[in-house]
Amino acid sequence: MTLNALLKAALTGAGSAALIASAGMAAAQEYPERPIEMVVTFGPGGGADLMGRQMGRLMEKPLGVSIPVSNVAGASGNAGLTRLRTDPADGYTMGTLISLTVASWASGLGDSKPEDFQVLAVVQNSPSFLFVPASSPYQTAEDLFAYAKENPGELTVATSGYGTQDDVTLKLLARDGVQMENVPFQAPGERYASPIGGHTAVLYEEPGDVAQFLKAGQLKPLVVFSKERHPSFPDVPTSVELGYDISGLDNFRTVAVRAGTDPAIVEKLQSAVEESVASAEWQTFCAETYSCIQPVTGEEAQAMIRDFLQLITDQLAS
Amino acid sequence: MAMAPNMRTEDAARQAAAPPTPRARRAKRLIPVAVPALLLAASLALPGFMFSSDRRPDVPGLGPAAWPNAVLALLALCSAIWLFSEVWLLVRGRVSTSLATPHDEDVYHYGKALTGILLVIAFGWLLPIVGFALACAGFLLVWCLYGGLRHPAVLLLVPTIGTVALLWMFMGLALMPLSRGAGVFDRFSVWLLQLLGIY
Amino acid sequence: MQTIDLLMAGFASAFQITAFLTVVAGLLVGVIAGALPGISFVNAMAMALPFTYAMNVTHAMLFLGGIYVGGVFGGSISAIMINVPGTPASLPATWDGYAMTKKGQVKRALTIAVTASAVGGLVSALLLTFLSAPFATFAMKFSQPEFFAATVLGLVSVIAIAKDKPVITMISLLSGMAIGTVGVDPLYGQARFSFGIPEVESGIRFVVVMIGLFAIGEVVDLVATDRDLRPRKADGKVAGASFRDIWNVKGAIARGTALGCMIGVIPGAGATPGAVIAYGVEKQVNPRGKEFGTGIEAGLAAPEAAKNATTGAAMVPLLTLGIPGSAATAIMLAAMMLQGVNPGPLLFIMDPSMVYTIFAAMIIANVLMIGAGVGVAQMFSTLMRTPPAILAGFIVILSLIGAYGVRNNIFDVYVCLVFGVIGWAMKRVGFPSAPLVLGVILGPLAERYFLTSIANSRQDYTVFFTRPISATILSLALIFVLWSLWPSVRTRIGRQPAQAKPKER
Repeated sequence: MTLNALLKAALTGAGSAALIASAGMAAAQEYPERPIEMVVTFGPGGGADLMGRQMGRLMEKPLGVSIPVSNVAGASGNAGLTRLRTDPADGYTMGTLISLTVASWASGLGDSKPEDFQVLAVVQNSPSFLFVPASSPYQTAEDLFAYAKENPGELTVATSGYGTQDDVTLKLLARDGVQMENVPFQAPGERYASPIGGHTAVLYEEPGDVAQFLKAGQLKPLVVFSKERHPSFPDVPTSVELGYDISGLDNFRTVAVRAGTDPAIVEKLQSAVEESVASAEWQTFCAETYSCIQPVTGEEAQAMIRDFLQLITDQLAS
Repeated sequence: MAMAPNMRTEDAARQAAAPPTPRARRAKRLIPVAVPALLLAASLALPGFMFSSDRRPDVPGLGPAAWPNAVLALLALCSAIWLFSEVWLLVRGRVSTSLATPHDEDVYHYGKALTGILLVIAFGWLLPIVGFALACAGFLLVWCLYGGLRHPAVLLLVPTIGTVALLWMFMGLALMPLSRGAGVFDRFSVWLLQLLGIY
Repeated sequence: MQTIDLLMAGFASAFQITAFLTVVAGLLVGVIAGALPGISFVNAMAMALPFTYAMNVTHAMLFLGGIYVGGVFGGSISAIMINVPGTPASLPATWDGYAMTKKGQVKRALTIAVTASAVGGLVSALLLTFLSAPFATFAMKFSQPEFFAATVLGLVSVIAIAKDKPVITMISLLSGMAIGTVGVDPLYGQARFSFGIPEVESGIRFVVVMIGLFAIGEVVDLVATDRDLRPRKADGKVAGASFRDIWNVKGAIARGTALGCMIGVIPGAGATPGAVIAYGVEKQVNPRGKEFGTGIEAGLAAPEAAKNATTGAAMVPLLTLGIPGSAATAIMLAAMMLQGVNPGPLLFIMDPSMVYTIFAAMIIANVLMIGAGVGVAQMFSTLMRTPPAILAGFIVILSLIGAYGVRNNIFDVYVCLVFGVIGWAMKRVGFPSAPLVLGVILGPLAERYFLTSIANSRQDYTVFFTRPISATILSLALIFVLWSLWPSVRTRIGRQPAQAKPKER
């Protein structure tokens, strides 16, 4: 009871904050005049955290203010988005919005919608792969898929959960006859340790999150779920080449602000993001994580979020 | 889930907080029965409130409800055992020893305790509205008065120095995004933080 | 031996003035942050992360390593002095440590705690240095069923801790486990018990529950009982623990250290289950186990040694495999990745000097911790001279900042307040609250280990008993339960005879 009342009070407070804040439009010229908060929607140490911290650090130079990171983790990233959505739309709060969170909306989490956010830019994008441990009996995708076809459901795949794009990919593979068991691991560390230790047959992941294991030769990429081969892995065949039409389920990471932010401020932030992405430091970072892309901005970026949500919603419904 | 034990303990608190009249003593004897009864009721009722959306996709494996249901079933079982033994004792007119109030303090001012709790709650409630700086200074001031400190120097210095130190430590050094409050309080907080050199 | 040479080189670079000062700074930050009620070492490490941007990667690891080692201990200072655990791992320190404080032995308790912690941490740092490869192999043998079994062991040791009230302890534990199920479930991404409130989907974090139950309730009691925490005159006369006192608990320290090292390498477990299991085991093994909770040295030493023994052990999978097992090591991984360094087997080949500098620093940090711990404890006893009202006010503010800082979310502050009221009431009616916190910590772990195990074995429920390590741990857990419940069962069965010969042993 107390909880309810307190929550309501907090939400009313936040609501009135938004109303008052929209009055100060003239502030766009002087923007930014104080630190900008970077809300990372996951805990420290993950891919979204590294991206947010790297981006925040690089954006400090063009914007000339400090950009402290705050990790607001919870509910697949939706807790941080609630914060982003309820803070004033004055450009002093930006946050990370990633594909995993968008996919979670399809299974009913959170109450955010794509139109609640103004995406500054999609800054990282990477297709997912299937990896096997170095000692695996299946050293090519053909071997793996052939075995899975003959022994449906016998191979296990470590993923991030049911109802995610990982799950959708496995469902699409199963539709085409390759049936493997989805094994969700909530903690990324355990997700990678399990196949490396030989406890799970296959790992579904984007290469950037397992870069250290790839470099050490502990994991071997077998197939990329994409239309084109990944430039860093030219020898790894695509799912489309192998006859499985599975693509468009890439892992993307964006930086966003609340919808309704002054266009002049959005433009300033956007150019700061673009400048940061062009920096040598960012290029090293994204090359290390196999996720370099030309930043996608504006309406195109908004459309990317909407289409991705639609795709996952359709696939989960079928 | 958080609400059920809340109700339960608030109830218990109200009974425990009363002065030790014969009626209160009787109420106190009822606590060991009321607590397991409420827990039993909660653990039986809660599975029905597990999901608030009706969308139940067809899931593989045990599903998201299996674990909480198992935990709540065990909780119901244990509460039933406890309730049974308490009722048994009550019927036979023996005094229950399962819940014992700590004896190590001679005096306990329930009024003071409840005021303290209310002050803490008020602080937490004001935090997002007036911002950390004002809430903190105000809380320290009231808390000092509540703790019996009346010296003007104390009342002036503890809240101001305390607040500035905490602001510097957490917003300045640790870069925590503590609440700045809403509306006019937000602007005040920004002004204050700029004045202190944190922003 | 190559390891020795490398370690010597590591010591040489760790003793360079900047490196050394970095370790010391980290250690002090850790001990102080850990000792502040509400601010846990994980909080402190996350806050320190931006400061490491400007350092080189070795210094970054030295700084974070220092905070980690210091912070895991620091939580016990406030646990012992004011009955408010600074971090969840210090929960067991409130049981016997605070009891010693009430007997006027605060200095003794602190000395024993810091020595036990340092010994545990030191052994574990040496293990990290010399045996990381075999321990990493050992860790890789563990998979989800073994993690589940270890969590079950943690859960049952809570029952063992109970003082003759197994049913009520179970109820408290299960309530905690039920609270732990609030929010998005770990596998299916479905929100449970959210009652349509989006904020609840994020779930209820154990640190927030702990701060609410312990800090708020304790503060209210502090003002309501006119309790004076100022060191009494008698305390001055009672010196710290002598060498003999420490030597008397050597068995407890050894057992705690061994358990901590084993539990530390298990990803996900970490310091809190380590400390709790060590307390439970010690209570059973120690001849004075029955008196635990009344201020027995061994009951303080064992969990203290265990929780710091998890620090070095937890870094084994991080450094050797690149797999962070806990929130603290995940932050260290982030610090390394942000500098473009990938931990894992390659690191030992590519940059052994850095690895061994980290090893050396962990060893140094644990040795220095005795000094830092005593110094900070001294500082805290000075702070305790301030009027209780002012002290209590600051504890409230720090607690709510700590609750907020877990996820920078105001919702967590409200949750903390709710649990503050619950905790106060629980204390008033004598309902045990520690099992509840442990339920909130271990319940969600048990759930996801269980469900992932089942999925990974393709819905085979026998997997927990067919895998040797898992089966062994589970049988240990069973023996443990029977062993600890036997006395009260015996009392029930042979009612009269048991009362006829009371307090034997």
